[in-house]
This record gives sequence, structure tokens and C-alpha cells, in this order.
Amino acid sequence: MSDHAFIGKRMPRVDSRTKVMGKAKYTADLKLPGMLVGKVLRSPLAHARILRIDTTKAESLPGVKAVVTGKDTEGVKWGVFAYTRDQQFIQTEKVRYIGDEVAGIAAVDEETALKALDLIDVEYEELPAVFDPMEAMVSETELIHEDFPDNINIHVNIDTGNVDENFAKAHYIREDTFVAAEESYFHAEPYAVVARFDHEECLEIWCPNGGPHMKSKPLSNAFKIPLHKVKVRKIAIGGAFGGRSEICPADYICALLAKKTNHPVKIVFTREENTIATRQGHSMITTHKTGVDKNGQVLARETTCYMDGGAYSSTGPIATSVPFLSMEQAYRMESVRYNGYRVYTNKPIRGMIRVHGRGFAVGLDTQLDLIAEQLGLDPVEMRLRNSRQPGEYTSTKSYVGSCAMDETIHKAVETSNWKEKFGNLPAYHGIGIGTNSVQTGFPMGIRGGSQSFIKFNEDGEATVMSGVVDNGQGNDNMLVQIAAEELGLLPEDIHLVSADTETTSSDPGSYSQVSTFVGGQAVMVAAKNCRKKLFDVASKILKVEPDTLVAKNRMIFVKDDPEKSISIKKVVRVSLLNFNSVNAEGGYWPKVDMQREWVKNPYGQMCEAFSFGTTIVEVKVDPETGQVEVLNATACQDVGKALNPLVLEGQFEGSIAMGGQGGMLTEYHEWKDGRCLNSTMLDYKVPLACDMPEISNIIVESIDPKGPYGAKEAGMSIAMSAAQAYAAAVSNAIGVPMDSFPLTPDKILAAIKEKKAQETEA
Amino acid sequence: MEKISITLDVNGKLCELMVAPNDTLLEVLRDDLDLTGSKESCGEGACGSCTVHIDGKPVRSCLTLALEAEGSKIKTVEGLAKGDQLTDLQESFINHGAVQCGFCTPGMLMSADALLNENPHPDRTEVRKALAGNICRCTGYAKIVDAVAHASHPHEGCPDCRPYGRSESKGEE
Amino acid sequence: MRLPRFEYLRPKTLEDTLDLLADHKDDARILAGGTDLLVRMKKGLLSPKVLISLKALNNLSYIQKNDGSISIGATTPLADIIASDLIQADAAALSQACEKVGAVSLQHYRGTLGGNVLQNNRCHNYNQSQFHRSGRQACHKAGGKICYARDEADRCYSTCQSDGATALMALGAKLVLVSKKNERTVDLADFYTNDGIVPFAMESHELLKEIIIPVKGGSSAYRRLAYRSAIDYPIVCAGVLLGATDNKIDKARIVVGAMGRSPLFLAQASSSLNGKDLTDNRAFKTAAYQAMDSAAPFAVHNVGSTLEYRQAMVEKMVFRALTAAATAAIAQ
Repeated sequence: MSDHAFIGKRMPRVDSRTKVMGKAKYTADLKLPGMLVGKVLRSPLAHARILRIDTTKAESLPGVKAVVTGKDTEGVKWGVFAYTRDQQFIQTEKVRYIGDEVAGIAAVDEETALKALDLIDVEYEELPAVFDPMEAMVSETELIHEDFPDNINIHVNIDTGNVDENFAKAHYIREDTFVAAEESYFHAEPYAVVARFDHEECLEIWCPNGGPHMKSKPLSNAFKIPLHKVKVRKIAIGGAFGGRSEICPADYICALLAKKTNHPVKIVFTREENTIATRQGHSMITTHKTGVDKNGQVLARETTCYMDGGAYSSTGPIATSVPFLSMEQAYRMESVRYNGYRVYTNKPIRGMIRVHGRGFAVGLDTQLDLIAEQLGLDPVEMRLRNSRQPGEYTSTKSYVGSCAMDETIHKAVETSNWKEKFGNLPAYHGIGIGTNSVQTGFPMGIRGGSQSFIKFNEDGEATVMSGVVDNGQGNDNMLVQIAAEELGLLPEDIHLVSADTETTSSDPGSYSQVSTFVGGQAVMVAAKNCRKKLFDVASKILKVEPDTLVAKNRMIFVKDDPEKSISIKKVVRVSLLNFNSVNAEGGYWPKVDMQREWVKNPYGQMCEAFSFGTTIVEVKVDPETGQVEVLNATACQDVGKALNPLVLEGQFEGSIAMGGQGGMLTEYHEWKDGRCLNSTMLDYKVPLACDMPEISNIIVESIDPKGPYGAKEAGMSIAMSAAQAYAAAVSNAIGVPMDSFPLTPDKILAAIKEKKAQETEA
Repeated sequence: MEKISITLDVNGKLCELMVAPNDTLLEVLRDDLDLTGSKESCGEGACGSCTVHIDGKPVRSCLTLALEAEGSKIKTVEGLAKGDQLTDLQESFINHGAVQCGFCTPGMLMSADALLNENPHPDRTEVRKALAGNICRCTGYAKIVDAVAHASHPHEGCPDCRPYGRSESKGEE
Repeated sequence: MRLPRFEYLRPKTLEDTLDLLADHKDDARILAGGTDLLVRMKKGLLSPKVLISLKALNNLSYIQKNDGSISIGATTPLADIIASDLIQADAAALSQACEKVGAVSLQHYRGTLGGNVLQNNRCHNYNQSQFHRSGRQACHKAGGKICYARDEADRCYSTCQSDGATALMALGAKLVLVSKKNERTVDLADFYTNDGIVPFAMESHELLKEIIIPVKGGSSAYRRLAYRSAIDYPIVCAGVLLGATDNKIDKARIVVGAMGRSPLFLAQASSSLNGKDLTDNRAFKTAAYQAMDSAAPFAVHNVGSTLEYRQAMVEKMVFRALTAAATAAIAQ
């Protein structure tokens, strides 16, 4: 294993150079000949019927090339799942949130486009709106979607074991409710789309995406053109974080404008549009009821969660499930009942986000800490008594292969000096722990697998084709690293053609956490197949058996007799001269339960591997202002195998910032009647460099039997456990368990004051 | 609207342009000069993605009128490298893994470059302060701070400090 | 985000500038660093016909020590103020305030002191894009008849979040305003209209030329609270000036910002410190509490965080500024 040339090495990423030179092209950077500027007209009202749209003035403005409204569409409702088809790309009948798409314009320049937007005359009949999910479920006003009674979009019900029986047996039971505001993606890159129909009537489209094949199918359906005529192109992407995975109405509108004008069209979102008109996280009210035995082992659990889904479904079933699933993976809970409700409100649409369910997980962990206190155990011990072990099944019947959860706990505890610190820190100084688990993928049906093609060029260098997309997390590098390793080339010898639906094969997308596990593995298999072909030819030249050969450093040689060698370039040329193929394909399909479905059948093998991680954080709270100074953070994750420790550390550190620093301390949206008051970089508080703590990273490798080189997902678990650790640290610092997130200074101060008042009373 | 003829000194080159009064420097750089390295992420001067140098000082180009940049030396991220030869800072970013999605990278580099011009050996606190106005969503800033703090001289014990001049990733240690 | 169209004028002298202002009056706005004006224009909050740029005027940027005062030109960049030893020594509150503004690469080289003082009032219902505001009636500040920050309010409750103005008011600063026909000096404390829509008692043909800080001994300090350590406007801030003889306070000015339509000079809290010792923390606590009591009613929920929290934090910021100023005074 340590024979690897590139796997396991700290390797600078292959895509960094163009980025530091400012040459990387993101969607908004694109310029195509004849390109028009597109803009979207959005509803200023949260809930309203569209009575009339008059576009004549806009259409006659000089410089306006096309205006489209709902009447230019078929009015078909689209959905990520067949049972969540609730969204038209341009609304024809009513608007359901402030930001809902009503029309699109293409004009010669931005000023003209903006002016034209103002000239579109829309008459609305305002309808009563609901903004609170609890109210929405009982409201007598017009349903947001007529097919979804009580405004309930999704109901996930999971019931395993013997919940009621085990509650009856429990030694100690607690029920606690936790409220968390939504968090928001705030990708550095605001959403943008460029679309054009080429001379062959193929749709070519560029946009930030979490999987180009997720975009191409709905476009194919909407424009009634076959998939081979939909080319979602590769482009540098400024972050996805679990979003940007499904089609966006702006994608459709841009393509429609391109079709109508016969020109390329570019739509660039403002920061505000990126915040309110793409996706946000879900706000949640979660009630956990947990019963434990005398030793603190969980016997039964019942969890109910109400999530504010906003105006449309998006990936509702997934978002309603993942917070629960992460917990059932991390902790043993054989008897558990979960009811997750995703409720429609007249607010911007909520989707899956890397920091899934901070209130959910944080609530569960906070409760565990409270139970621990009651039983005289410390939080670490409590985790260890309930932590997932390898070889077990989760409550929803997924087999867990590799699992080093306990090791991550022990190592984080050691590095952070937990034992010396917990219970011994000065006043208002706290330390907290969080553990979590993330599924490396989920059943994706027809898109569950990935295939790669590799071709060798005459000069002995290779082109690798893969559907895997890079949102910034380093997937391009991962593919090149794997290909270089298996092909025996150097990374600079490899050209990657990826994330392009014209040339690359279908892939599950990055948001499903399988880019390495499935996509990387497909490349590995393809590369091995390619190498086999080369070895067959080389073996004849060197007159040895193929299985004695290795490839490294652009050479093929006999492992035990390196002098017997031949350059890969030569082998390629000989192959071509002798009509031998120098190309190969390879694919990987995880063996999951294809019958498993989020709502209808939430049981069965979810994925082939799970990652596990622990975060420990130390904080100091200013008891006068409630402000939190984060002293240090320790991130420790079982990633199976670290393909590139440099990249992994970057994932951990970014996770701490997003899930913990921002997610637990400063990030939330403020609303007034469905209107988002903090949609900008100024008003929504993403962490800054001057406020971040120093971070210690620990990589644990359990070498998963199924993952490529043993690797599993690594981009999400820390983002979730960071939130838990931050909350636990603050609670520990002030001696009050917190139940409302994020922990802004006013809440912390109020908790301190209340505790003081109670102590005085007592 | 009447456009005004101006000459901008961008990355050492004089560029003759016709601009409207309400064109920002960012728009002119990106749309007229094809220098798309500087980015618009917020449009209101709160994120730093549009940071360029005006006479050596880091400023927000999205809040600078193109007209007002005339007569100054403007430097964008594209002006850091000399042809293929990257600056130490750029190589340090690559080596330390300070670039993930890369959208904030140009702005970060310009703020960091301004810092290093004034103080070639900043400590981590000074780096964090100088970059406080550049928002990054991917990295948590950790490796960016490493890259800037180590740019002028290799730090003992840092596995990612590498000799400069080899910005191609070779993989093997 | 695109700026609206305007006519751009760049006068070469102060005289020319004042002529233009006299001609265009309310049709024109002054462009200095642009970090406030241009953002508001992008959001469609105003669309002036004319922008008069101060770029060509290079004689409005200076920090000058006089006998008994410091004069600062209105277009002096914040970076220069932060770097000035003179201001750090004799007007520490201003130095501390400017350092907190925005971020190094945002304000410090572009932001001017004049611009910071003349930064328009803010409210999270008002400082929004045209799109955001289009779905409901305009508020008072946007030309309508309703306030979204305080129910039933018949007037605008927008807030002054200027760090510079808060510190300057504590320092007892004066502003020199010039126009084509006139030059006048006004105490900063008298410069505010208490009108959230037009916060400054300044004619449209006037230009802020200079800020004068009296230096007559004493120590000052500035403290502010925000969610993050950079970029953000303050949600509460306090500037104080303490003068003492033989460690007995004989002059105190407590000013609280980010609570009202202007920085609030709190006379009662300030005078409560007269005669008190520089080490009398209890007196500082009392004064801080008094300051909170006086300032709290001015605030509404319109700048992030909760109203109750901001009100409570007035006490903390004032106390911390007082102890900092006292410590500096003792050290002198």
C-alpha cells in the first residue's frame, strides 16, 4: 500500500494553477459571440394568483430580443421525484414565494434587460400566506399546493424494533425539543447560467451544478429533445455544498430564451437571488424522546421533526430523511420511531445542505449529554456506549462495514486534552464533543453508478473521461490522482474530460457524497482495464508474464527486475501499430437495495460505506456580552483511506467554519412576512478569517473493503459534528443546555441570566 | 448615453476604453478587458472577491468607478504572474492547498499580496486581520493563512512548504 | 449589480466644487470613497442626476496638529487616520473607531472620514434591493408612509451606525461646512436633525470640508459590538472622553451610537461622573447603566440581533469604554 506513487500523498491540486492565475472560467465569466443578457422577473409577493401578465411594453423596448412567460411553456410541473412534481419552471397560475419565477427577458445589455423587467406588467391577486410550518399545517387558507393537504409535502415514517416496549423498560427517559433556524449556502459564486442552441439544435448549457446528469434529463424532458442533444458543459464551479444539484427554473428560462432568440443567453444572479431564489437549508423543530438503561445505552427513541420546506419540494424526501439517517448511523438505536414532516410555507425553497439538520443532530447530542449528566457519565463515555460498531446494522437495516467511530472519539479526545479539560476549565470556559456519520451515497436508481472511459494518445499520455463534477472540493484532482496511480503516468500527463453530458457517462453527482467512492472507483476500474491492455502488449515485447509487470513513472517494468522496462509511450505506439486497443472503460455500481425508497420503503442497504467522525471544540464565553471566542477545534474523521491528506484537511477546516463557526454561532435568516431580511454578504454572517480558531486535523483510516483504496466520503461529516461540538462547548461553558440554534450572543446571554436568577432563587 | 474615453493602466499595460460614468472598474475589467479573474460575489463591497490594487493598495473594484481609476496603476490577479512564472505567493497557495473552489482566490491573493508588500513576514494574526475582508466559504481560511504566512520563507515542520519554481504538481515527495 | 446612470463631474478645485453644488443642489451627491453612496445607488435607494467627485481635490486630505486641536480633512482615508500617531495619542477614540470600520481592503484605503460621518442612516427594512422593497408599500425613508421597524410609527426610525461619528461626538468634534457663499463651523452634537430620512442639518449646496477635534487633555476610548470582527456595522457602540485633574474627573462625555437616529450624547450619564475618581469603577457602572437607560428608548429592531440585547449591551460598551479611557488617563 505504501507502494503508491500518488495515493495517500499530500499533492497540490491539479486545478489550482488556473485558479491562482485568475484564468479559471466560471459561468459568469463566459462570453459567447452574440450573447444576450438574461434576467428573470420574480414575484414580489409571497402568495398570489397571477391574473394577467402584459409584456408588450417590455417587448417593444429597443434592445429587448425576447420575453417569455408561463404561456411560452407547457405548464408541466416538474419534481426531483415522481411524487414531488409541484413546480413549473415559469409560474402560470400562482406564485408561492417572494422570488418565484414569473417571466424571463433577453436583451442586448444589462441595463436594457433591467429596464425591460420593470416594464412587464403583472396583475396579482394577493392570497393569504403562511410562513410558519406549524401554522401552515392547520391553516384554513388556500393550500400552497392543492394536491398536498395540510400543506404537508413529505412525511417520512420509520419505525423499527419495539419502541413502546423498550420505553417501558427504560431506566431514564428524557424528552426535549430543539428549534433551529435555517442556514444558507452562501456559495462564493452566485448562480449563473449560459445557454445556447447550436446549429444542430443541440442545447449547450453551462451552470454551477452538483451533477450535470441531474440537469440534462429534466432539460431533455422539458424541451422534448433526446439526451444526446443536451450538453451540460464542464465549468469551474464556486461551491455547491449539497445544493445546485437539481434543475433550477433559471436553467430552463435561459435555454428557452436562447431558443427563442437563436442567440446564446447569460443569466447571472445577484447575491440576493442566489440566497432566495436557489435554495436554503431547512429550519426545524425537533422533539427527541430517548430512553436509556442504567448504563446509558439507548433502548428506545422517538423523534418527531417538522421542517420548513418553503414553497416547493426540491429534494424534500432526502432532506427530510438525512438528518435522521446520519444519527441512526452514528449511534445504535435499534428501537426507533421517526416521523419527519416537511411542510410547505410561502418562503424560499429549502434543499439538502451539507450541514443537514443542525438542530436535529445537535438536539440529539445535547440530550445525550443531559442524560450522561443524570447518570454520572461524561459525554465521551456516553458516546462510546452508544457508538456505531463495524459489522452492525443501522436501524433501517444498512450493514455497516468499516467503522472507526470509537477511534475518532479516542483520538480527538487525546489531541484536544479533553480528559484534563472537561470539568476543570475556568468559569465560562467550555469544551464539547459531537459525533456524526454520513452515508457514502444513497440509492439513486438509474443514476447510481458511474462509468469512465480512458484513451491513450499517441504520445503516451492519456485522456480520462468521467461524469464526476468538481464543485471545489477537489474531485478533478482525485480523478487524476487515481488515474495517474493506476496508469503509471504522472498527473500532468493526464487530461481530464469530466462533468460534460455530451461525452461523459451518467454519474450520481457530487451531492450524493459518492464522487470518490463511485466516480473515483469507476476511473480506477477503467484505468486498471487500460493498464491490462498495455501489459498484454508489453509482456509480449519484454517476453514476461503480464502479472510480473508494474507501471510507474511513465514506464512499464518487471517488478522484481526493473531493468526490464519499456516506456508507456512506446507500448501505446506499438499497440496502435498492431491494431490493439489502447482505450478502456470501467464502471462502478454500489450494491445497494434498489427497493429502498425515502418515503415508501425507507429500509434496506443505503450505501456501501459510512464515514464517521468526531469534533471537539473549546470555547470561551464572555458572560457580559454572550459573545463566543472559539479557542481551538479538533476534527477527526474516519475517511476509510486518505487519498490526499492535504485536500482532506481542507475539507475538515471548511466544515468547521460552515457547520460550527457559522452554523452554530452566527448563521440564520431573519424574516418579515416571507421576506428575507438578510440575503446579502453583509447581513448574513458567514465566518471571517479573523474569527476562526486554529484547527487540528486527524485522519483515521479504517480502509473500507469496498471503497477505492479503502476511501469513503469525507466532505460532510465534520460539518455536522462541528455544529454539535460547538453547541456542546457553549452549553458546557455556561452550564446551560441550549435548545435554540444558532447560539447567537443574545440567546447565550439570556441563558446565563436565567441560570443566575435560578441560582439566586435557590 | 455618452461614453467617455479613458486610458487605464492595467497590469502595466495602457488600455484605451470607452466607458460610461456608471461603469464600475470591475465591470470594465471583466467585460471590456476580458480580465475575468476579479469576481462579483456580492456587488456591494462586503466580500472582497473583486479586490484589485490601485496604486498598490487593495480596494473593491465593484465600488470603484472606472472613470476614477484613470491615472492610477491598477493591478489585477492576472497581473501577479509574469507570463508562466507565478509569484511565490501564488505557488504557496497551490502548495498549501489554499485553493478549493477558487472563487475567492483572486481577491484573497490581491489582499495577501498587498500585505506581503508591506510586511513580508506576517504572523498568523496579522494575516487573518489583513484577510478579514475576504470571504471564503470553502476553506475555513486555515490553509490560506498557512499559504500567506509561509509565502516568504518556508516554515519548519510544514509538510507543504516546497521550493518555488516548480508549480506543476509532481506528486512524489 | 448595475449602478443607475448619472452625470459625472470632477471639479479640480474646491471653489469649482462649491459652484457645482450651488448649481445642482439636491440633484447632486458628493462622491468621495463611494463605499456608502454607490451601494445605496446599486440598491435603487437613490438615483442622483449628478455625482460630483472629490477625486481631483488633493487638499482635503490632511491630519494637522494645531494649538489645542487637530484638523482632519474630510477626504482623509481611514487608513491614514489609523496610522496616525498623533490621533492615536490625542484622539484615541477616533483611531479605535476607524480601525473597526469594514475591513482593511474595503474601507481603509477608499473610505474617508467625511464619508464615514456622512454615511446615511440604516435599517434592515430599508437597505434592501429594489426587488425586495417592491412587494410592499414604501417606508418613510423610501418616500412612503409606514415604518416596518416600529409598528404605527409616524416617522422614520433609521439608525446612525457610524463608528466615526460616535467617536467624534465623544471627542466634542466640530464640522466645518463650506458652500459657495459661506463657511460655518458646527458642533457635531448639533449637526443632526433627528429625522431618519434626512439625518444631517446640512444644505444640499454645502460640502463637509474639515473635522476639528479639540485637544485639551483627557483620554478617550471607543468600543463597539458586532457579530463578526470585520465587515459588519456596529449593532451597539460607545465613545467616551474623560478629562481629569489629580485623578478626579472634571470632564466626561459619553456618546452611544447605533441606537438612535444620530449618535446620542448622554448628558445625565456623563455629568454623573463629575468629581468621581478615575479608579471609581462603581461610578462607571452607574454611569453605564444610566447611559443604557437613556439610550434604550431610541432604538428599534432594525439592525440585526434583538432589540433587548442591543439595549442591554449599551451598558457593557459604555462601561468598557469608560474603563479603557480611565486607564489611559491614569497612565498619562
